Amino acid sequence: MSALTKALYPLYWRLLSRYLDKRQPAVPSVTLVQKLIFILPTRYGWWFFGLIVLLYLLGTNYQNNLILLLSYLLLSLFLLSIVLCYQNLSGLTLSSLAPGEGFAEQDIGLSLQLIAAANDNNRHRMLRLQFTGQQHQVVSQRCVPAITLNIAAGKRGKYTLPRIKVSSQYPFGLWQAFSYIALLQHYWVYPSPAQQSPAAGIMPEQDQTSTRQQVSDDTLSAYRQGDSIRHLVWKRLARDPATPVVRQQQTPPPQLQSDWVVVPAVSGDALERALRQASRDLLTLEQSGASYGLKLPALTVAQAKGPAQLQRCLQALALC
Amino acid sequence: MLKQKRLMVVWLGLQLAFLLLLQEAFTLWVSLIFAALLLTRFATLVYANTSLSLKAVNVIGACVAVALLFNLKQAGVLNFMLQILLLAAVLRLLALRQLFEARQLVWVHYFLIGCCFILHQNMLVALVIITALFANMYSHYLLFAPAGSNLKPANIARATLIILPLWLAMFLLFPRLPPFWQIPTAKVASTGLSDTLDPGSIEQLVQDDSLAFRVEFENGVPERQLLYWRARLYEDFDGRRWQENPLRSGSNYRNVHQGATPAEATLDYRIIAEASQQRSLFALANPWQSSANVNIAPSGLVLATKPVSQRTSYQLSSQLQPVAVLSEQEQQLNLRLPAGNEQTLAFGRQLKAQHPQVPALIDAIASHFRQQPYFYSLTPPLLGANSVDQFLFDSRTGFCSHYASATALLLRAAGIPARVVGGYQGGDWHPEQGYLAVRQREAHAWVEYADQGRWQQFDPTAAVAPQRILSSLDDALSAEQRQLLTSPWQRNALLNNLRQQLMHLDYYWSVWVLGFNDDNQRDLWQQVRQNLQRFAYGLAFITVLALLVVALLWWRRRERPTQPQAYRLLSKTLSAMLRHKPAHQPLSAFLRMLAEQQQNEQRQLLLALITSYELALFNDDAAALSALKQQLKQHRNTLRRLHFSAQNT
Repeated sequence: MSALTKALYPLYWRLLSRYLDKRQPAVPSVTLVQKLIFILPTRYGWWFFGLIVLLYLLGTNYQNNLILLLSYLLLSLFLLSIVLCYQNLSGLTLSSLAPGEGFAEQDIGLSLQLIAAANDNNRHRMLRLQFTGQQHQVVSQRCVPAITLNIAAGKRGKYTLPRIKVSSQYPFGLWQAFSYIALLQHYWVYPSPAQQSPAAGIMPEQDQTSTRQQVSDDTLSAYRQGDSIRHLVWKRLARDPATPVVRQQQTPPPQLQSDWVVVPAVSGDALERALRQASRDLLTLEQSGASYGLKLPALTVAQAKGPAQLQRCLQALALC
Repeated sequence: MLKQKRLMVVWLGLQLAFLLLLQEAFTLWVSLIFAALLLTRFATLVYANTSLSLKAVNVIGACVAVALLFNLKQAGVLNFMLQILLLAAVLRLLALRQLFEARQLVWVHYFLIGCCFILHQNMLVALVIITALFANMYSHYLLFAPAGSNLKPANIARATLIILPLWLAMFLLFPRLPPFWQIPTAKVASTGLSDTLDPGSIEQLVQDDSLAFRVEFENGVPERQLLYWRARLYEDFDGRRWQENPLRSGSNYRNVHQGATPAEATLDYRIIAEASQQRSLFALANPWQSSANVNIAPSGLVLATKPVSQRTSYQLSSQLQPVAVLSEQEQQLNLRLPAGNEQTLAFGRQLKAQHPQVPALIDAIASHFRQQPYFYSLTPPLLGANSVDQFLFDSRTGFCSHYASATALLLRAAGIPARVVGGYQGGDWHPEQGYLAVRQREAHAWVEYADQGRWQQFDPTAAVAPQRILSSLDDALSAEQRQLLTSPWQRNALLNNLRQQLMHLDYYWSVWVLGFNDDNQRDLWQQVRQNLQRFAYGLAFITVLALLVVALLWWRRRERPTQPQAYRLLSKTLSAMLRHKPAHQPLSAFLRMLAEQQQNEQRQLLLALITSYELALFNDDAAALSALKQQLKQHRNTLRRLHFSAQNT
């Protein structure tokens, strides 16, 4: 049975996406309206309906009006909760302000903006957000202005955002109102930076050894754009999210011979390796504060420095 | 979420309420087990705020379930089901850890609430159960709501406003079906008259002040002397105790709705009987027609199809004449004389010799009771084996059953078939509410004897204590004995009044809520259909009007935002000229071009117009807008001429 469901699910999802693409093409900002909200009973809802039928049978068999009344009351509640469940989701506006970015095989956090209907954050409760096909989900008890949803990034490239499933079972868990939203936004997956090459004079296990070291303040410094998130001190981040701190590398960043990062005209695995190296080199250069450029077989990015330059170069690598 | 203490407290309270409400279905040791389990949960909640391990709970559950299973035969299927349900709920609460377990718990609670209504339909208890329902709904809500959120009264009010009509409509209009299959009923002790009549059993019954049944009459209440509610026939006598003949409990019913409409006046009435766990119901004189839920036995008794386990209402139509004698066998049955009570038998034979005619004999017995020093008492002395002899010739003090018993035996000795009838006499008439309340204290016994092919009714008590029949039991008793009938709190006038009001409320409750059946439903439908035409035109008119208003609002809303007011003003005044404006050209640009072609004065005017227009449109300037209006009004003629000249160019 489950094998059959597993086999049929992709087909179902393909049909559903085709239907959804027609119904709601991707736009920068989506307000949930009647057209976009679907409502189906939850499993508990089916159980609840069974309870109503059971009570009806009990009331009929005993010819007991009070049990019948109870059964009808629960049925009214069941029906009313369709409307309440719909209202809970209706009017919520979602938008994505900036494209996401991150390195391959890492989680990429995408920041979404939520605006409640009539700016009443209590109107939307127990919201559950999730990218379709992704594990990570966020449950928000009330409407919050911004949330970050993770996407497990695969290969490098530029991707359009998958549909976001917004759902809620509030108030009685009998019905689930849900919507699959397509936001006109994309996210970048950059080649993950290579481990420091032995030629650069740094041990390959450097990352691991440093993570095992005790965090002492003299090896820490403030986060700067371009710092690898691998060096982030997560414990400190959890304590004080406003000022991220990275662990200072023990050795000064290796000096590269040239200010040009060059990707040779190769293909296949060699290209991937070269791109990962280039990604590492770009990060190192940005950290060192020098201005640098990127030469790809088909594209050259002029020399400059700063976060925008790094982003431009990494995007070029992602698309290479 | 499950750490919230208030949820646990709500559930504990609910289960305690279930334990109390379902008390009738539980024997003492079962109740004690449940109480102990709940106490354990309470202790763990207060002292540790943890739950028991699943393993321990499973072991407890298995043991209790096996014990309950052994008790199955004694408890009955329904009681067993209730016990298992409550056990499941209590154990779930004991080991509650997960959210889904809490949801299951809420589900089972809903079902238990439904089951409470099987045992209780009293209005006050129903209120308690409904409170429990709301508590359970609240906990249901909390399970799915954000932590620490509270229900807002406004939201509850809004939900109630939506649910109430929906709910009532369902109750009133949803098809009502007959029972699908036979279901077990709760084993509960029966109340009311039993199938045996001892000297003394009715005295006990009349001390019970609870309601037996209520009656509504179609055409006014009959006189009190006619209100003899027959419930049971006692035909077997063993010298001391009267008993129902096994024949009577057979199932040879008269078919309902059979027989032609009798020529005599009939009495139509509806009886709402309280749960008695007995099949025997109540009827006046000779019922010939009934609603489908009861049967009329040949002897004129009304029997329910199964023991009355909840308040039941049924319709009856009675002829005000005695029940017919069915067969020779029935007469023989009521002539049998047991051994003993020789004095009485001799007295009976002597009376027969003096009064060969039956009516004369009856009169003689009545006058015997009336003239000799006989006393009517709630506390007669205890009697031995020959109870009737002792009563008639020795103690001379008795309650209605003593007189009935003695009279029946006298008649049998005189060769007249006679039997004792058990039932109720009289009742309290409540004119405002329009019903007669008959309580257990109205229990009564009298005699029926066969004469002229019918079972004639004779009540010897009427001879001894006529007030009992004409007014009430209280008037027939001495003040001392009356004290026995009323408990101290009933003597408080205020409380008594409150009790009366509650009883009236309970009456409406049973008529409108408990007694609502498919007949009422059909009537309701019929009324709706009859009045539909009258309402239909009004309804259609209102609907059309509402639709028009909605359409108008919608149209106006669509119209407004597309064009600003300044633009509309200008295009209205200059409509003819603006026909020459190319579609892509802005209005102000077109006017500026027009101004270039005009003479000095008109050009100034146009330029002024443009300025106010642009200010009003792009600066949202209210003053500029009114200035624009003024200018257009003042220079309407100029502008009209302008438009001619524009056409000429």
